[in-house]
Amino acid sequence: MSLENDPFLNISNSIINPYIEDWQKSNRKVVGFYCTYIPEELLHAAELLPFRIRATGTKDTDLGDIYMVRFTCSFVRATLDLALRGGYDFLDGFLVCNSCDHSRRMFELFDLKVFNREGFSKKVSQFYLALPHVITDEGFEWYKKEVEELKEELEKAYRIKEIKNEKLMESIKIFNENRKLLRSIHELRIQEKPKLTGSEFLQINIANSSIQKDIANQELNRIINVLKNRKPIDVSNKKRILLVGSIVDNIDFTQLIENSGAFIASDFLCFGTRNFNDDVQLVNYDDPLGNITKRLYYRLSCPRMMDDHLRRLDFLKEEINRAKVDGVLLQRINNCDLHGCDNMLFTHELKELDIPVLNIDREFYQSDTTRLQTRIEAFIEMI
Amino acid sequence: MVNRVEMENRIIPYKMLYEAVASTQGLVDGILPEYGIPSLKFGLGHIKSVMEDFIDKAGEGLPIIGHHFSFPTEYLYCFDCVPVCIEGTSYFLAALLPNGSEPYYDLITHWGHPFHTCTSQKGTMGMTLDDLFKFDAIITPTAPCDNTYASYPFFKYHKEIPLIMPDLPFLKAEKSYRYHAEEIKLGLERIGKIIGQEPDYNKLKQILELENQVTNLQLEIFELKKATPCPVENMFNVMAAAAQIYLAGRKEKLEFYKTMLEIAKNRYKKKEHHAGEEKIRSIWPYMIVFFDLAMGEWLDRHLGMSILFDIFNYNFADPINIKSDLETMFYGMAKKAMEAPMTKQSAEFYYPFIETCVQLAKDFSADCFIFTSHIGCKQFGSVPQILREALRDEVGIPMLLVDLDVGDARFASEKIIRDKIKMFAQTLM
Repeated sequence: MSLENDPFLNISNSIINPYIEDWQKSNRKVVGFYCTYIPEELLHAAELLPFRIRATGTKDTDLGDIYMVRFTCSFVRATLDLALRGGYDFLDGFLVCNSCDHSRRMFELFDLKVFNREGFSKKVSQFYLALPHVITDEGFEWYKKEVEELKEELEKAYRIKEIKNEKLMESIKIFNENRKLLRSIHELRIQEKPKLTGSEFLQINIANSSIQKDIANQELNRIINVLKNRKPIDVSNKKRILLVGSIVDNIDFTQLIENSGAFIASDFLCFGTRNFNDDVQLVNYDDPLGNITKRLYYRLSCPRMMDDHLRRLDFLKEEINRAKVDGVLLQRINNCDLHGCDNMLFTHELKELDIPVLNIDREFYQSDTTRLQTRIEAFIEMI
Repeated sequence: MVNRVEMENRIIPYKMLYEAVASTQGLVDGILPEYGIPSLKFGLGHIKSVMEDFIDKAGEGLPIIGHHFSFPTEYLYCFDCVPVCIEGTSYFLAALLPNGSEPYYDLITHWGHPFHTCTSQKGTMGMTLDDLFKFDAIITPTAPCDNTYASYPFFKYHKEIPLIMPDLPFLKAEKSYRYHAEEIKLGLERIGKIIGQEPDYNKLKQILELENQVTNLQLEIFELKKATPCPVENMFNVMAAAAQIYLAGRKEKLEFYKTMLEIAKNRYKKKEHHAGEEKIRSIWPYMIVFFDLAMGEWLDRHLGMSILFDIFNYNFADPINIKSDLETMFYGMAKKAMEAPMTKQSAEFYYPFIETCVQLAKDFSADCFIFTSHIGCKQFGSVPQILREALRDEVGIPMLLVDLDVGDARFASEKIIRDKIKMFAQTLM
């Protein structure tokens, strides 16, 4: 059974999709967000559709370049570019957190230049979450209050009398189930004879972030059945790679890697393991929002958390063993200081463990395919 | 017995800086006329004596505490220690020595640090990689930029230096000041434990009182800059930035500002400009070019362009209340830290920054803005065009945008930058 042209995976190839159109036809709202540090369960409990912003398919950033200098991240610039061209006009809400310097400034730019542009009259509510940069008890208390305030802001903006605990509990169950399903698919990838490629797994994750989770869960169950009945992929001639670093929101880059003699056996990406590794623990049934916040805050971090590098390294080491990885491909989108420096430390730490490492930089859009391919092929040959 | 040289060698770059300051001061004294560029003359003199003191104290074996420039130096004076500003070291060396910090930028870049990160941190990282600094601890707030979150872990995870990170929240509100106040207090206590000292808050109060006095003088000088011609030379901006770090909490800082205020008042009375004629009044809402110390003077003399102020010279916090209890004092310290240059603009949306710039343009009769878009500062990467539009629409003045690395001439050279400004100035005139 094939996943080629699977309608669910195809959702990852575009921004808008039929599920969003159906959702909005019944006057329900979509809230866009950039980073996995936002409480999706809360949005879901408010009967909002959380949509992870991306720029899949964007090849140019002409319009974005007007407002963002060239030292900024080409992924974020591409999302702005897309938004300036109307690609995000379907949003009813916009939630930003200070995950990185590039994406956090989208709050202002979307406010001034996207949602206030000539000819665009829809009212889009904007929300902001201030997330600490260190993981401490004090930081958790801060973030918990932020999320509680967000709940109130959502209730006010969308005229919801109250987002009740029962609804939050229901959302937690759906999202935990969603993460569990993704982990099951991940297991089918990391095994010796994998049932899907890294690129297919990325497509699944992207599609999953673009539709409502109850439908996504049905689709993921279907995909799991397809995969279980599928013949294993022959990767015996390929090197097993752990892909780490900046956001990858389309398969151009992963296909480039997998066409260069590698198989992406696992990853440490925000459209990947970082997003589904941890569940909400229902420690305190009276405080589901607190439990949601706890997962978000203490989960496997990205390098925006400046005191958590060792835990990230431990995850890489575990995953290297579990997925029987031959080499680690560290990558960053140019101008991403966070992943750039984390990757620098990983490079030295992994080399000390005799694990082959390639550390590359790239633009969001595939602007220098040949250079990348040459480097990746050379790395694969060297392993 | 303490081996003095060994102890001093924990801050070799400070010894380099001392030599650079001393020789520059020698040149200034020997070449310039008696009243030529007073901010440089007096500033260097004070910094030299403070550097001497730092080296002396390092020799005595006092702990070396590294800190981010966003963590005010004076807060560390509740300890007997030698404070080393991570960012200040890279850029002061870049300012005083040809290719001053470049070898260290290259060292850490070669080690794998991304080319697009901030050179202010790269320099000291390179020096630390080369064991030229031996820090007992480093403290940085979680601000103002990705470079900070990204680069400082190197000290902790590779060099195994205890790193204390008082969290500084995004968005300014009462709850933010209270949260950060607690974080500063906890941070200082953690340093105390590492170096085996109790924070001396009575001593800190005296230091903060001195800083309050400095702020009043700074505000007086700032006010005088509204006059045409501007009674303060461009070089003052660089020296004030250096004083903020190296003279923090010291009587030398008070002396520096008293002298500069007196000079500015004199010039104001006589309607005198440092370099003869003021033709263009510019505001640099962001940084000046640190690797080109002479640029300010060149602008004054060759283009008649005043730099009314840069980001380090128009952000002033309220005085800290030291007469009340400790909680109030820490609240004031948090507020001051969050109002510090760059942190202020980074820890909130940029609407207030745009409004401030527009207001400053009006209040100070600015003819133009020059925005130095520094490669490291991604947090300002979405600001320039919005600012340009606001200045055009609300004040009717233009803004020049210069892409550069303020600490590394190899990115955009002194010649390229000066040519751009020159052409911009010619268009204005």
